[in-house]
Amino acid sequence: MKNYKKLISFLLAGTMMFSLAACGGKSNNNSSAGGSKNATAENKKVDKDGNIVKAKNTDAKSEDNDLVIAIEGSVSSMDPANIPDTNAISATRGVYENLVRFDENNKLVGQLAKDWEISDDSLTYTFHLNEGIKFHDGTDFNSEAVKANYDRVVDKNNNLRQRRTFIVTNDDGSEEPRVANVETPDADTVVFTLTKPWSPFINRLTQFCIISPTALEQYGNDIMNHPVGTGPYTFVEWEEGDHTKMKRNENYWGDKPGVDTVTIKEAPEAGTRTAMLQTGEADFVYPMPVDQIEAVKGTDDLNVKASDSNIMRYVTLNMEQKELKDPKVREAMNHAIDKNAYIQLMYSGYGKAATSVVPKSISGYEEQPEYKFDLDEAKKLMKEAGYEDGFKLTLWGDNTTQEIKGMTFIKQQLQQIGIEVDVMPMEPATINDKIYVDKDKANVNMWYVNWSASDFTMDGSLRSLLHSSMIPPVSANTAYYSDKDFDSDLDEGLTNADADAQANVYADAQERAWKACPWLFLGNDDVIYAEKTYLSGVYVSPDGAFNFTDAELAQ
Amino acid sequence: MGRYALKRILNAIPLLIVISFLIFMFIHMIPGDPARQIAGQDATKADVEVVRDQLGLNDPLLVQYGKYMKGLFTGDLGYSVKNGQTVVQTIAPRFKPTIMLGLCAAVWAVIIGVLLGVVSAVMQGRTVDYIAMIIAISGISLPGFWLGLELIQLFSVGLGWFPTGGLGSWKAYVLPSLTLGAGIMAILARFTRSSMLETMREDYVRTARAKGLGEFLVVMRHAFKNSLIDIVTVGGLQIGGLLGGSVMVETVFSIPGLGRLLVDSINFRDYKVVQALLLFFALGYIIINLIVDLLYGVINPKVRYS
Repeated sequence: MKNYKKLISFLLAGTMMFSLAACGGKSNNNSSAGGSKNATAENKKVDKDGNIVKAKNTDAKSEDNDLVIAIEGSVSSMDPANIPDTNAISATRGVYENLVRFDENNKLVGQLAKDWEISDDSLTYTFHLNEGIKFHDGTDFNSEAVKANYDRVVDKNNNLRQRRTFIVTNDDGSEEPRVANVETPDADTVVFTLTKPWSPFINRLTQFCIISPTALEQYGNDIMNHPVGTGPYTFVEWEEGDHTKMKRNENYWGDKPGVDTVTIKEAPEAGTRTAMLQTGEADFVYPMPVDQIEAVKGTDDLNVKASDSNIMRYVTLNMEQKELKDPKVREAMNHAIDKNAYIQLMYSGYGKAATSVVPKSISGYEEQPEYKFDLDEAKKLMKEAGYEDGFKLTLWGDNTTQEIKGMTFIKQQLQQIGIEVDVMPMEPATINDKIYVDKDKANVNMWYVNWSASDFTMDGSLRSLLHSSMIPPVSANTAYYSDKDFDSDLDEGLTNADADAQANVYADAQERAWKACPWLFLGNDDVIYAEKTYLSGVYVSPDGAFNFTDAELAQ
Repeated sequence: MGRYALKRILNAIPLLIVISFLIFMFIHMIPGDPARQIAGQDATKADVEVVRDQLGLNDPLLVQYGKYMKGLFTGDLGYSVKNGQTVVQTIAPRFKPTIMLGLCAAVWAVIIGVLLGVVSAVMQGRTVDYIAMIIAISGISLPGFWLGLELIQLFSVGLGWFPTGGLGSWKAYVLPSLTLGAGIMAILARFTRSSMLETMREDYVRTARAKGLGEFLVVMRHAFKNSLIDIVTVGGLQIGGLLGGSVMVETVFSIPGLGRLLVDSINFRDYKVVQALLLFFALGYIIINLIVDLLYGVINPKVRYS
């Protein structure tokens, strides 16, 4: 009898444990997207300073001079040459600097380089470096340091992610360097000569941070634990998964930041981030999900701000699919989607309907004529194409709450013109498996997805998605869009660094792609963040990286 | 006792080997190509191939398994693909938060849970019993992350008594261990109660009372001691689970523990880290069960000789 009892108790305990584990293990994707109380709240306009919520108490002072930034993601590495995400990029920008950078208006400006020239054949880039700069360990910054960093990145043995920027690997495994050589004619001049013209080169240099060569020699690839740069902050500590801390560089060559220390804290739960802001544990929080905005309206010393992002949200339409071959059908589908309703539903109105194939923040952006939300026009086009009775399609996308919401919206919209959509949410890796297959095995109909080009170039925003050579399994052109003229526009833009020439070809490329409707063009959501009113000088760039080099806390 | 213990320990070794094999196979059955995940959105197929080569994924499975097992014995657990650190460097700093938090949660949950259970059983049917059981049921029913967020709103934002997260000071442990321990406390309370109710009806308890023993001794020395086996079993299972960290509590309270690391690594397809973590959890569980088994031997000497 006792044995029987023991067995039962084991089973019971096991069952209870399993059910507890199931509850405890639920992903917290739900916690930040669910519970949006009112999609029709009173004040959803963004004022001219980008404020969604403006603090009433603008005289609030900070208790200390230590900036605390709470983020959702994680700073996965402090080695700027081996970074997989924007949080790591943001953190390393406190300690490291580049030859050139994007300023608050997304213009390319010099940082460690005071100016530069590009030769007429777009092959030679000459940078004139600022003088008198020292690394945090006292080493001089000069052209040799730049070269040492370049050599480190392209060295295959170091296994650095950034190597891909400078070395192209072909399908057969052979490699082609983009840079033919790096010369240092004197301490303040660095000359990069490319093997072929490649206009994104200078944009990519905004991600090429310069590490102290002395430190590189001492630490090698362990440099991620001992960052030594030229930046406005010096490294204090990096505890992966918890926080990153830096302090003001008293010997900084430029304008010293106003704050004593910066701590980037990782707080994956949105509700907790908001609480940190309310208690004052954090001075700046990113991202701020829209459903938290209501929660903070009561606190009087918070600003919630919105700004443009470089995220493009769209649905790719497989143009090889029988029903999607006809441009009239794709046009009809675009007319059947109410983009403003989409922005309202998904982002509570904080975003913009798509006005081109790329967001406004991309250089070369040109506004395109709207595909007005017009069901009659849509139905008319469907009829002309011979699909008055509609047809069935599948829609693939990530299985997060937000994405599923978006896909369901698309399904409802297309239902109005007779298209029956089967929404199939899947784990991202599973989708990748199904997408990157040979053409004859491709099953994709529609793919609800988004893209952001971290180098802000038109090429970076379009090539992998719409160039005919990027059809799966090579890359992500799941629209199977193939237009020779579009391809040559992109190729010319890539090789010709002249601004006017680029403007021309990229305008043409956008027009072509827009007219052909390889996608359902949806929108560009804003980046939303929140800060204490006593903080200034911290902002989020369109690519989701946060900048704190000019931070100041009112004392 | 020594032989009993030795036997139990030796049984664990083949178990571990089988588990390590299963872990390896399951991870490689996860759909999705880790190389593409790691290479990123804008990688071309050639870039992905380079990554795949670097990760050794092009080797036949058996070869990969061989390398993995060899690594386990030499202590080389591989590298994390996220930032190139060794797996040990990635996992090591996460132990302390998980274990500290787990310990805090376990201690208060066991003490309060068992206490509530015993009191309820002894005062069965009275108000105390009902109140205790309501507390217990709340512990199981209230969703963990809701409880955590509510505690933050109440005690951090509202009263300012405790920080919202991290493990900076002793104060930071209070809210997360309350949240983490709630479910365990609840289960132990109910289990202890039902087990005690049973043992208190046994003949030997009646005998003890008849002998003239005071009620406290009757309850503690006779009834409770005999319930201990069940309580220890359930308690052991619960606490074993704590070793895996709790993704939910770690997420809500921003604690850099093993639970979050596991989930993040799975999403990133950081195979080596996931393997090491799963192996560690299995090992931890086996050890806890071992301890429970040994405790049986202490609590009920009859078990040793069976």
